Amino acid sequence: MKKGGLQGYVIRRLLYAILIAWGVATCTFILLRVGPISPADKYLANMSARTADPSQVVAAVEARYGLDKPLYVQYFDWLSNLARGDWGWSFSTSMPVMELIQKHWIYSFQLILLSMLFSAILGILIGIYSAVKPYTKTDYLATFFSFIGISVPNFWLGIMLILVFSVQLGWFKTYYDTGLTLFSLANLKALVLPVITLGTGAMAGYTRYVRSAMLENLRKEFVRTARAKGLPERVVIGKHVFRNAILPIITIIMFDLSGVVFGGAYLTEIIFGIPGLGRISFNAVFASDYPVVITITLIGALIVLLTNLATDIVYTRLDPRIRYD
Amino acid sequence: MLTKIGNKVGGLRNLLFLCALMLLALVLVLDIYAVDRILEPLGYFYIVFALLAIFYGIYPLYLSRRLTRYYWDRTKRHRLAVFGLVFIFFLVAVAIAGPFLTQDPTKVRFQEKNVPPVGFSITQSVYDVKTDTFSTVHIPGTWRHALGTDDKGRDMLAMLVSGARVSLQVGLLATLIAILIGTVLGVLSAYLGGWVDNALMRFTDVMMTFPFFLLLVFIIFIFGPSLTFVILAIGLTGWTGTARLVRSEALSLRTREFVMASRSLGASDSRIVFRHLIPNVLSSVIVITTLSIPGVILAESALSFIGLGDPTVTSWGVVLNAGQRTLDTAWWVAVEPGVMLFLTVLAFNFLGDGIRDAFDPRSQV
Repeated sequence: MKKGGLQGYVIRRLLYAILIAWGVATCTFILLRVGPISPADKYLANMSARTADPSQVVAAVEARYGLDKPLYVQYFDWLSNLARGDWGWSFSTSMPVMELIQKHWIYSFQLILLSMLFSAILGILIGIYSAVKPYTKTDYLATFFSFIGISVPNFWLGIMLILVFSVQLGWFKTYYDTGLTLFSLANLKALVLPVITLGTGAMAGYTRYVRSAMLENLRKEFVRTARAKGLPERVVIGKHVFRNAILPIITIIMFDLSGVVFGGAYLTEIIFGIPGLGRISFNAVFASDYPVVITITLIGALIVLLTNLATDIVYTRLDPRIRYD
Repeated sequence: MLTKIGNKVGGLRNLLFLCALMLLALVLVLDIYAVDRILEPLGYFYIVFALLAIFYGIYPLYLSRRLTRYYWDRTKRHRLAVFGLVFIFFLVAVAIAGPFLTQDPTKVRFQEKNVPPVGFSITQSVYDVKTDTFSTVHIPGTWRHALGTDDKGRDMLAMLVSGARVSLQVGLLATLIAILIGTVLGVLSAYLGGWVDNALMRFTDVMMTFPFFLLLVFIIFIFGPSLTFVILAIGLTGWTGTARLVRSEALSLRTREFVMASRSLGASDSRIVFRHLIPNVLSSVIVITTLSIPGVILAESALSFIGLGDPTVTSWGVVLNAGQRTLDTAWWVAVEPGVMLFLTVLAFNFLGDGIRDAFDPRSQV
């Protein structure tokens, strides 16, 4: 690698991330403007019947949100507000959206973190086991269950878990208790069903990926060499096979975040009544609370952007074979 | 003369297809400006879908019967794929014929609420208005409502059949839109290269940065929930993966000898695109189509589950939502639509796996 290659790569990636962030903000702005409803209508829906003359309110709201200005001014206002961290004011709860997010993000965070740990650890372990003992009964069982796990709709799985473990057996509450202190054992217990709900699909996916990646690497010549050298099987599997199989799986886990995990967390929070960002956005949708819905969508995109950036940069450390110039 | 124009767009078949599309567009214009409702909005999607299937699915398959038979044999060896296909055919039959055979899925009968499916029975405490007392009654399942009823007395079987119709509609149409956009953008990007490729791929990156489901909720929130909008929203956001895949395939095809040879013989851009690039990425497109249908069906039912689906249609998600509210009194309302959804997704996954293995010459079936 040429001198400063990695640094240059990181800088280029950062600039690219900023470009994408700009694209995301612009797309959102266009969607908002193309949409048939103006924020003023949504605001009115919230304030309905409180005022006598709606046209006056519309004018006031449009002036308040700068909707009477020309489109390009609105666009630049939008970008600069986003960049300055001024993400608007929630209609339905009457507080800055950022404050609302700060109050609730931890619930989503703990759910997503725990279920990612659950799915990654279990998925990788089962995958390794299946690959080391392929075409045995356990392997077939694991494959069968991973097929089921991939196909079962996560929101239905959640409801079925509630039906069996909460309604029939009474082991858990049917609802997430918001009164629990975070980072306590009781809180962890309350999160068992949600974590299984969110993590099962991903776990099944990782099982299959790990299994096939391990099997592919097991056939490679360096594995035969390692065995011929007389290395213990534990070292061959752990160092030679697993080390090579794990890299693509990291990308898949990160990629899942945008496609599966966020959507799954959204639904899981709704089913179990966890007051995370998904639940906030869901309430906001039905309260016509415009800024909250936008902000949560943008925050989701931002997190995906940052994880992609982080993955790309971490990759340079994990895989010395990758060149960046 | 006709052949000459036909060659411009890569063959008579494409010309016929484009003509049919234009005719449809004309009908659409008439529909909007002149005549009152010739076709339902969804009708247009269906016609485009049928045209595409005939011109680019059935006809080429019929032309190369030997290859079709080969692929079919390879798919058939996957027993699970055959199960998937049978289930999908069953579902299509139910969706088409079912609504004529079942009761009205929206008809509310409070006298017959919470009837369990055949073979099950529940005990329930019922309030009698005349005597002003509660009495415990034993309600057995009846054949009149083979799969039971929900808490408003609506027939579960009828609701599931209606849900099958919605799911298949959304699954097929939204996937079709997504795959079409993805294929066209992917081929264009790979073939034109340069700044077009750059711009399209940056746009794809931007779209991929939005979490899929959050973007869907956002779009439905802005444009309002109707079946057409749900289909459009899923179709217009779900093309990114296809675009990337098709682009990378077309990029590698572009430098292959037969494309070079064709170009050195003086073939036009459109001929290379239509005759060489598109037919050669078709097998991957077919595989990715089958594999993306389940995700689309899940997205629709998730949307209607959280109440962002079309409020006028009974989809599995809506029933599931009602089921969650009555888990302690009527478990079957939540179980049945989920089982259907699960089996449908499973069937498409099996079929997709079978087709992928059949089209992949490296795999040993």
